[in-house]
Amino acid sequence: MAESEEEVDVLVQRVVKDINNAFKRNPNIDEIGLIPCPEARYNRSPIVLVENKLGVESWCVKFLLPYVHNKLLLYRQRKQWLDREALVDITCTLLLLNPDFTTAWNVRKELLQCGVLNPEKDLYLGKLALSKHPKSPETWIHRRWVLQRLQNECSGQELKDQAEPRGDAVSRRRCERLQRALQEEMKVCADAAGRYPSNYNAWSHRIWVLQNMAKGNLKVLHDELSSTRLWVSMHVSDHSGFHYRQHLLKALSRELSQAVERDLHPTQQPNGESTAGASDDNHRNDVIPQHFHQEMELCTDLIESYPGHETLWCHRRHVFYLWLQWRREHVQGAGSQSPPLTHTDVLLSEEPCDDGSASQAMDVDCFLDGSKHGSYTQDTKRLKRGPLLPHPGLPSEHSFVSRIITGCRSPEQSRFAVSYRKWLDSVIVAQELEI
Amino acid sequence: MGTQVKDVIIKPDSPNTLLLDKHADYIAAYGSKKDDYEYTLSEYLRMSGIYWGLTVMDLMGQLSRMNREEIIDFIKSCQHDCGGISASIGHDPHLLYTLSAVQILSLYDCINVIDVDKVVDYVRGLQQEDGSFAGDKWGEIDTRFSFCAVATLALLGKMDAIKMDKAVEFVLSCMNFDGGFGCRPGSESHAGQIYCCTGFLSVTGQLHQVNADLLGWWLCERQLPSGGLNGRPEKLPDVCYSWWVLASLKIIGRIHWIDKAKLRNFILACQDEETGGFADRPGDMVDPFHTLFGVAGLSLLGDEQIKPVNPVFCMPEDVLQRIGLQPDLLS
Ligand SMILES: [Zn+2]
Repeated sequence: MAESEEEVDVLVQRVVKDINNAFKRNPNIDEIGLIPCPEARYNRSPIVLVENKLGVESWCVKFLLPYVHNKLLLYRQRKQWLDREALVDITCTLLLLNPDFTTAWNVRKELLQCGVLNPEKDLYLGKLALSKHPKSPETWIHRRWVLQRLQNECSGQELKDQAEPRGDAVSRRRCERLQRALQEEMKVCADAAGRYPSNYNAWSHRIWVLQNMAKGNLKVLHDELSSTRLWVSMHVSDHSGFHYRQHLLKALSRELSQAVERDLHPTQQPNGESTAGASDDNHRNDVIPQHFHQEMELCTDLIESYPGHETLWCHRRHVFYLWLQWRREHVQGAGSQSPPLTHTDVLLSEEPCDDGSASQAMDVDCFLDGSKHGSYTQDTKRLKRGPLLPHPGLPSEHSFVSRIITGCRSPEQSRFAVSYRKWLDSVIVAQELEI
Repeated sequence: MGTQVKDVIIKPDSPNTLLLDKHADYIAAYGSKKDDYEYTLSEYLRMSGIYWGLTVMDLMGQLSRMNREEIIDFIKSCQHDCGGISASIGHDPHLLYTLSAVQILSLYDCINVIDVDKVVDYVRGLQQEDGSFAGDKWGEIDTRFSFCAVATLALLGKMDAIKMDKAVEFVLSCMNFDGGFGCRPGSESHAGQIYCCTGFLSVTGQLHQVNADLLGWWLCERQLPSGGLNGRPEKLPDVCYSWWVLASLKIIGRIHWIDKAKLRNFILACQDEETGGFADRPGDMVDPFHTLFGVAGLSLLGDEQIKPVNPVFCMPEDVLQRIGLQPDLLS
């Protein structure tokens, strides 16, 4: 094992080189990790590449980290010069070992600014760091900066190119580049969410991506809603994952409502174009209650299948709250100006919406007296796929709670159910009285 | 599938008295292991580490055991031309460490050893159009940084340096249906972010904008059967979250809504009887971060062996009195 200072230097320089060569040899490395190994094995590099996994033998880390750490700090204090290539290698090694070293990410931001690194390559390093440290706040922060830069790169130059004849092809390519980055980002978030439960940084990053890279993009919102459905069903304790769905529902209902508004008032279009989508009014407006309805059903199923999970009860609160809020804003107030809205507050089939739902809207009693339908069992509900269920309302929620408490053997489940009832009686009732 | 409550079990032989001397020894010795591997690993947050250590020593009446001159020199060499302060020498400046440095210098009553006007410029320069604050020149936005900004300026007596209405507007835009706050608009409520946001609203005199009953409800639901508090639903209890939840409850005047005796038991059980210091949970490794929040939590719960702590600044009340700062609390 290396002992003297010079020996350590030589060793460490070789290891830094081995790491960066491994990336050159295999650009598909998708995970990094430490290999527990207290002693150096004679004449063998501590960097091990197996399939797409890069391993670092643990014995060398205590030499490696202080070396790259001090090297970068000396450079930052202008006490030692490092060329650009060395900076790329050193920050790479350093960040794989210690991804919350903010200043090292900042050095990479500067390397990006002067074109030494490209955004995709840097995002790739972050992805690897997250494979070992899925929470690392500084890694997520750096990603947001890089993504913003990528966006500016694509949109800023687009304008410049539009005057040129090849502008179309160029802008298409840029658009595709952004699409790829968006897809990749969702994958990185999903991966980090799988590696650490209720990963606040991963899920709040995913919301940021929606807000900044997919603003108003209904397709992305829909895709996300369907792709996270199975995930949350398998992670019933993951409050952050469920919160993400709450966010999706909120964003979807806002976007869809705005789309309806635009269709109803085509003259308000900024470009003066009248939209041909007006015939979709019915559809769009029915879709929102349907999403809420389906989410409440999912929640009911999960609460019954996995008793005693606080997360599921929190989810129920938020979804029910959002639903009531949407109904207040879009049904009661706006009902007069838009005929298609009148039947949204009544009943909905679980099947994808069609015109048949208009005739079923006659059955107003079901809506007013939710309790009548509150006692269905899961089995009969499944058998009766076709028939209509009342939209969630205070009565149906109360009968849901009673049903859970009656058949409950888990003390936790009862506690959460009672607390949900208390929440309905105080928070929701107070809100309904305010209108 | 059975119900697994995510909680810890406190063993009957867990510590149940406060081991103040051990904790003071632990903190005093901590800084001497400077070539430790762990020490290198955490250098990126050194300034906050020093603040944690000094504050807990001051709360225990042991501040004089720390090396005042060395620390002050260190802080001076961490201030950059832009006015901001970095975690350590050679690192980049950031609001997080600027606040920590200002807190340390307030403990030592020597704020003028750094260029205060430049600090104020730095903080002002990080405010965005929408009132939010970036953490540093690279532009990351987070309600934590809103707190850092106003707490720094309040300690310096320069609250008028920023656009306050806008700053308040942004923090309120991060309020959620459950009364809590997240890091950005639309983000999940999180006890750490709630502490920053209620702290922010306290410093800026805007606590009336909080729905105290609703938020208090959410915060109380963080208490688990072990007595410990978690930071979000179905997370494990943790001494640091216990502080953030407890301090938030104190700020909004709802601290009596939780079971104080049980929380005290949980915090005491997180002590290490041999090494001194507190861990996140009973039996885990201790660190200065959890040691501060353990001791500060016990202070908020009324332990008279510890100086009273201010829930907003997480500093001894006597220090804030000397500065003349009295952030609002709801009753
Ligand atoms: Zn903790």
